[in-house]
Amino acid sequence: MGAIVSVRVDMVVDTKDVRDALASVVAPAFALWPQQRNLQTGSSALKLAPSFHITTTIHNAPEDLHDAVLRTLEFLKMDKLGRLVVGRGSGDATVVSRARTLSSLTLSLSEGSEINSIATEVRKALEDRDEAYTLHVPADGSDATMTANTTLGLFRGLATFSQMWYTNDEDTYTINAPFSIQDSPVYPYRGLLLDTARNFFPVSDIKRMLDVMSWVKMSVLHWHVVDSQSFPLEIPGFINISRLGAYSPSSIYSTLDVEDIVHYAGARGIDVLMELDNPGHTTIIHKAFPEHVACPEATPWATYASEPPAGQLRFALPGTANFVADFLAAAARMSPSKYFSTGGDELNTACYDQDAPTQKQLNATGKTFSEALSDFITTTHGALVAQGKTPVVSEPLLNETLVKVWISSENVAAVVRKGFKVIHAASDYFYLDCGAGEWIGADPDANSWCDPFKSWQKSYSFDPTANLTDTEAALIQGGEHSLWGEQSGPENVDSITWPRAASSAELFWSGPGGNGSTALPRLHDVAYRMRTRGVKAIRVQPEWCALRPGKCDLTS
Amino acid sequence: MTRILALFLAVSLTVAPASAVWPLPQSFQTGSSALRLSPRFDIQLSVNHASQDLRDAVSRTKFHLKNDKLGRLVVGRGSSDEQAVASAPTLALLTLSLTGPGSESIATEAQKLLGERDEAYALSIPSDGSTATITANSTLGLYRGLTTFEQLWYHYNGHTYTIQAPIEVEDFPAYPYRGLMLDTARNYFPVDDIKRTLDAMSMVKINTFHWHVVDSQSFPLQIPGFENISAAGAYASSSVYSAANVRDIVSYAGARGIDVIMEIDTPGHTSVISKAYPEHIACPESTPWATYANEPPAGQLRFVQPETAEFAANLLGAAAALTSSAYFNTGGDELNTACYEQDEPTTAILNQTGLTLYDALDNFTATTHKRLIDSGKTPIVWEEMVLNYNVTSLSNETLVLVWISSNNVAAVAQKGYKLIHAASDYFYLDCGAGAWVGDFPQGNSWCDPFKSWQKSYTFDPVSGLTETEKTLVQGGQHLLWTEQSGPENLDSIVWPRAASSAELFWSGPGGNVSAALPRLHNVAYRMRTRGVKAISLQPEWCAIRPGVCDLTA
Repeated sequence: MGAIVSVRVDMVVDTKDVRDALASVVAPAFALWPQQRNLQTGSSALKLAPSFHITTTIHNAPEDLHDAVLRTLEFLKMDKLGRLVVGRGSGDATVVSRARTLSSLTLSLSEGSEINSIATEVRKALEDRDEAYTLHVPADGSDATMTANTTLGLFRGLATFSQMWYTNDEDTYTINAPFSIQDSPVYPYRGLLLDTARNFFPVSDIKRMLDVMSWVKMSVLHWHVVDSQSFPLEIPGFINISRLGAYSPSSIYSTLDVEDIVHYAGARGIDVLMELDNPGHTTIIHKAFPEHVACPEATPWATYASEPPAGQLRFALPGTANFVADFLAAAARMSPSKYFSTGGDELNTACYDQDAPTQKQLNATGKTFSEALSDFITTTHGALVAQGKTPVVSEPLLNETLVKVWISSENVAAVVRKGFKVIHAASDYFYLDCGAGEWIGADPDANSWCDPFKSWQKSYSFDPTANLTDTEAALIQGGEHSLWGEQSGPENVDSITWPRAASSAELFWSGPGGNGSTALPRLHDVAYRMRTRGVKAIRVQPEWCALRPGKCDLTS
Repeated sequence: MTRILALFLAVSLTVAPASAVWPLPQSFQTGSSALRLSPRFDIQLSVNHASQDLRDAVSRTKFHLKNDKLGRLVVGRGSSDEQAVASAPTLALLTLSLTGPGSESIATEAQKLLGERDEAYALSIPSDGSTATITANSTLGLYRGLTTFEQLWYHYNGHTYTIQAPIEVEDFPAYPYRGLMLDTARNYFPVDDIKRTLDAMSMVKINTFHWHVVDSQSFPLQIPGFENISAAGAYASSSVYSAANVRDIVSYAGARGIDVIMEIDTPGHTSVISKAYPEHIACPESTPWATYANEPPAGQLRFVQPETAEFAANLLGAAAALTSSAYFNTGGDELNTACYEQDEPTTAILNQTGLTLYDALDNFTATTHKRLIDSGKTPIVWEEMVLNYNVTSLSNETLVLVWISSNNVAAVAQKGYKLIHAASDYFYLDCGAGAWVGDFPQGNSWCDPFKSWQKSYTFDPVSGLTETEKTLVQGGQHLLWTEQSGPENLDSIVWPRAASSAELFWSGPGGNVSAALPRLHNVAYRMRTRGVKAISLQPEWCAIRPGVCDLTA
């Protein structure tokens, strides 16, 4: 961060004014998150005019950009966040009362840019997305300007702009004008996985999550929508599965709900990557289609599955492969994303060893387990590719282009060495559910399988390209935090996720190597601003520390 | 309707009944008949001059019976009960009566000394629809019985019913102290959050709110005569509990059978008092903080000064006057000696008088505790006062909180003090959520790992104690230190986890976690119907299939 000491030649400045201004900028806690690629700030106060407005120079601006502008204006008016210093900004009153006012921000697309909606831009292939923007906020009150090549870039810039301002009495102001920002993400994939199958989350909770994600410039909701325990997704042509497999009729995402969520996400610069994990994690399908599921609810469950209930698709049967291909294609039609996740994790072989139809088929064809699985994947992925989707899989399956590494960060190198593109999702850095005790019953002394808790500091310090060659490093697409829902629900979704997941949002936007000590005051800002917007982000420290940057560091 | 058919249906439905009562009563006999509440169901008090808080409790019970609408935690959420329930007898009346003399308010009973409280009750619900009864020696006992009664009923398709009639309960707590501690100083909690927590506590018969109201970071308590401390030391003028707020909280708690024990932690944990009374604080905000305190900011009362002891006695006395409890907690943990070694006023007095630091602490404690005892309060202290600082001036009646480790219980008991279990290795709700101290990327919480409900549930309160020492155990509590908590995660970090100690200390130790889990799901689901954001302990698939997600199922 290169702070410019602004020489305010444009103003008649008495010495007290300068002293006030300097006093209030001791250890200024810049609130911007994720950190900009190039950020220059000054030390002048600037306030928003009561008539402040945002205009666009874009002919026929898409509706979602227009809505984003309105939301930004609403945040500027309603956030009312006091600066995180002792006195909450009361010491700024004098300089702010004399500060210049900013009347307008103008958004423009660079010449020759194609005009698409934000949603269209964020649903492009990862390598084709352009999220870059520049933002200039002069100190003298003349118009602020934002330019980008895409509406998505402008949307990212608006998220930055809305983080710059504090409120003190009636004024909405900054003490860090002028701002000059050039920004773009280091990695295109910055995600959050939400599991809505272990416990159900109403649409309103998902929308609130999407809002928060957009504030920290996350670009992907990885929606692990169904699993062995429940099937809350209504898929046209397969509605019996959700009818029989959802926790209740009110715990189902209808096709309209999905459309609503996808639309809401797109307008917030978020691509919804739907996951229908298979052939494992599919027990519940047997309620509607018993012929396609091996070892349904077989016991002891621990012999046949990683968690209860046991049950997996009979992938060796051609009839099942075709069923799954149809069913994935139908689900894929609900999602406009370029990508679709077919999971592929935690396949249990004991389940198939005791499944007569599977054994009979393998014996008849002479195929090995792996060969049959490979055929199944060819069939099911073929159906997705025919829909224009790129399949995303979990790390044990290595035959497609985008691989999510979840078991351990130590497996990243092995995956890239095979030439696959990688998304970081390692349990040892990014699993939000770790460290909250065992959820399996009758196991009194056990902790979570992935203890300890992954603190924000831990994920923030992750190195996405550790031990990789430059060629290998180029395969990294980004990463995500994951919330598996065995011990979560609407009750704790905010508090278990925020502000912790913001750490990977910055890691994969700003790049690795960030300093936890300088990040902490900004992370407090993120959490405080989330709370002003109705999100129950937890406290990272006592408020005493939040108002005194650095004072609660280990060695201070 | 034929009775025989109804019985047949009822019997077929009671496979693996998930009794929802928590804490488990001492004696709990159930049948297998369906019984539903009449639309005209009423609760009558056959109590002379019943207190207002008992009348209010009855109203709340009726409200909960109408509004909980909790489906039974089985596949179908009770749909399979529908036929039996449709033809079941209806219960029209519950009567409450006292077997003892007089009828003091619930609050008065709950605020008595631990040994003088009577929380026992008997509850009888016949299966034929004839009147149900709760009897007790005290209004507090009747209130506990109402709490049990509320947990017996499920809702399906317009009916509020049980499938376990008749029900006979005889119940009383194993230990008189069953608490929850909340720290409102590291981060502030509005009064509404405290009240919601009191409601949730009362659902599981917790009877003590240990209110760690102030600490070094902030002083959100307005104490008459000492208003300038909160004026200068609260996080914001809106983050202060006024005297009226305290009275409101004490009254709200009392009406729910909960005693509010306030803690003003002294002489450590008092840095923020320097904002109003710098003359009484040694090493205020000294750095490096880790040399002078266990957490930032450093700063402790200059207890060696007689005028500081007098100031603290006045402060504690004024605070104690705000509460109705027979107890007051003066803290006494984590005293830092380096702070005093560099404090000139302290060293000057020690040199002059020839006293050691701990001699002086003994004198200070004698002064402050005398003020409390004179005003009718029994002091409570943290374990260091007896184990580390060897304070000999403590009254024999003093209660000692064991927090550092459950291994220290026996040492406190051997000194003959009554004790309360609050060990960090079993009951600290904040453990295992990462380090909160800044610039410490690889750090975990000091008390890792997370203390699961199973861990606290399996605690043995009398482990390693002689028969005599066992009688010193008054009960125990969960604790929420709030360095990383606020209103945002209060419910989710506390509930249903803290219910585990509520049952441990009501029903007694030795409970089986496998048998407890389905009931604990019930607690959590019912809390959620009442607006408390208790977390999910398992996927719902498991919650509605008792035992099926056990390790070896």
